[in-house]
Amino acid sequence: MQPNKDSLSNTLIVATVLCLVCALVVSAAAVVLKPYQSKNAQLDRIKNILGVTGFTQEDIKAAGGVEPLFAERFDVQIVDLRSGKEAAEQCKVAVEKARDRSIGDIHSEYDQLWASKTPPAKGLSVELAKKEDPCGIKKREIYSQVFVLKNKAGEVERYVFPVRGNGLWSLMQGYLAVEPDFQTVAGLTFYQQGETPGLGGEVENKQWKKKWLKKQIYDAQGDVALKVIKGDQTKNPNGVDALSGATITSNGVSSMLDFWMGKNGFGPYIQLKKSGSLDKSNDQASTFGGSHGQ
Amino acid sequence: MASKSSVKELILDPVFNNNPIALQILGICSALAVTTKLSTSLTMSIAVLAVTACSSAAVALIRDRIPSSIRIIVQMTIIASFVILVDQILKAFAFQLSKELSVFVGLIITNCIVMGRAEGFAMKNTASDSFWDGVGNGLGYSLILMVVGFFRELFGSGTLFGITVLPKKEIIDGVSQGWYEPNGLLLLSPSAFFIIGIFIWVLRTWKPDQVEEA
Repeated sequence: MQPNKDSLSNTLIVATVLCLVCALVVSAAAVVLKPYQSKNAQLDRIKNILGVTGFTQEDIKAAGGVEPLFAERFDVQIVDLRSGKEAAEQCKVAVEKARDRSIGDIHSEYDQLWASKTPPAKGLSVELAKKEDPCGIKKREIYSQVFVLKNKAGEVERYVFPVRGNGLWSLMQGYLAVEPDFQTVAGLTFYQQGETPGLGGEVENKQWKKKWLKKQIYDAQGDVALKVIKGDQTKNPNGVDALSGATITSNGVSSMLDFWMGKNGFGPYIQLKKSGSLDKSNDQASTFGGSHGQ
Repeated sequence: MASKSSVKELILDPVFNNNPIALQILGICSALAVTTKLSTSLTMSIAVLAVTACSSAAVALIRDRIPSSIRIIVQMTIIASFVILVDQILKAFAFQLSKELSVFVGLIITNCIVMGRAEGFAMKNTASDSFWDGVGNGLGYSLILMVVGFFRELFGSGTLFGITVLPKKEIIDGVSQGWYEPNGLLLLSPSAFFIIGIFIWVLRTWKPDQVEEA
């Protein structure tokens, strides 16, 4: 027993030493386990991409795992969101400069959430004006990944776009799968969100996610019409029933889609793809390109 | 008092005689939240067991140096560090489970069992005794979680550890299969209250000395 353990100096010493030791243990664990965790997070994202495009557990087993299946069926594109063109090389150069080291395959190593947080001077992100930023992300990356699902014959079956936006508490990150007409939703999933469990957290609910299937993204003017609205929306081609008790989360999902499908998101890419594919009917190609965010 | 008791007593006493959930009614919040499936119940049990055992041992190890004015904060800091450690390890090696457990691993910090053992036992006993006391209380918690998880998953989903035991009644491709109609109530939180209540009833019928004076 220390007779003076309640003295001021002992209190301070114990508090300081304890904090230092605990901080050391916790940070050491964080650093040591980081590679495993990022690997898991990466796998989880791929699993979500496979899930949103309709692959089942059996498909994954048959292909020998998540990664082989993904590598076999998906093309990863890196596109410049400003022009909509593929820009893997420019992106690689900018990332290498910002990270100050050479990187391997930019398609698998590119972390666009990180890119969006870099200062705009690094050439990887752009500042968004308040008016242009319905989902509150403040800065948007210049280069984004797009995952293209192809069938055995090499035809495109789905485009999967990474989307994110703020809900009530958290940044919700997910994937929107779209059919090759860039009009019909093939699925929406979230792999990272911290909304209230049971209320906003229901964005991960399977039943709710099913409601997105076959919904139409753009209206006749080419504006994003897809929205989360209160009430039964089974007859509305552009509406999905809101989550009860989670108005702000629901609105967040709406704004997220409005932004990422609009001209500041994947709009230019979609337009480019549409004008590039001549076999598309004329009216479809001309419907896109109106103004957004009115 | 406990310095004389054997390791066996330290471990078994909190499981049946002095169960933290059934007798002291501590830490039931997480028992409601994570017990819809056995796999999450088991993970949570192991996590709580590890945290209680390690934090009790750590607190006991430095108990002679802890100034009484900041002892609660010191205990909290130690517990929080272990919880973060467990959370990080789960994220690294059991990602899917840690995703299902979401915030509840972090909330072990606020689990009264951990804090209760640190303050009530570890501050007065040796490190090894405290460690085994932590293991015992962790096991007591685990027992309830596993029992509740067993009934909720079996009757709520018709499975155990994800393996179908009672084939669910459903129609696949026009052919009706299975016969079991899952009881949806068991997937909701109130069912955990019912099961814990029944468990306490059974336990107190078996050991009448746990019955409180009315």
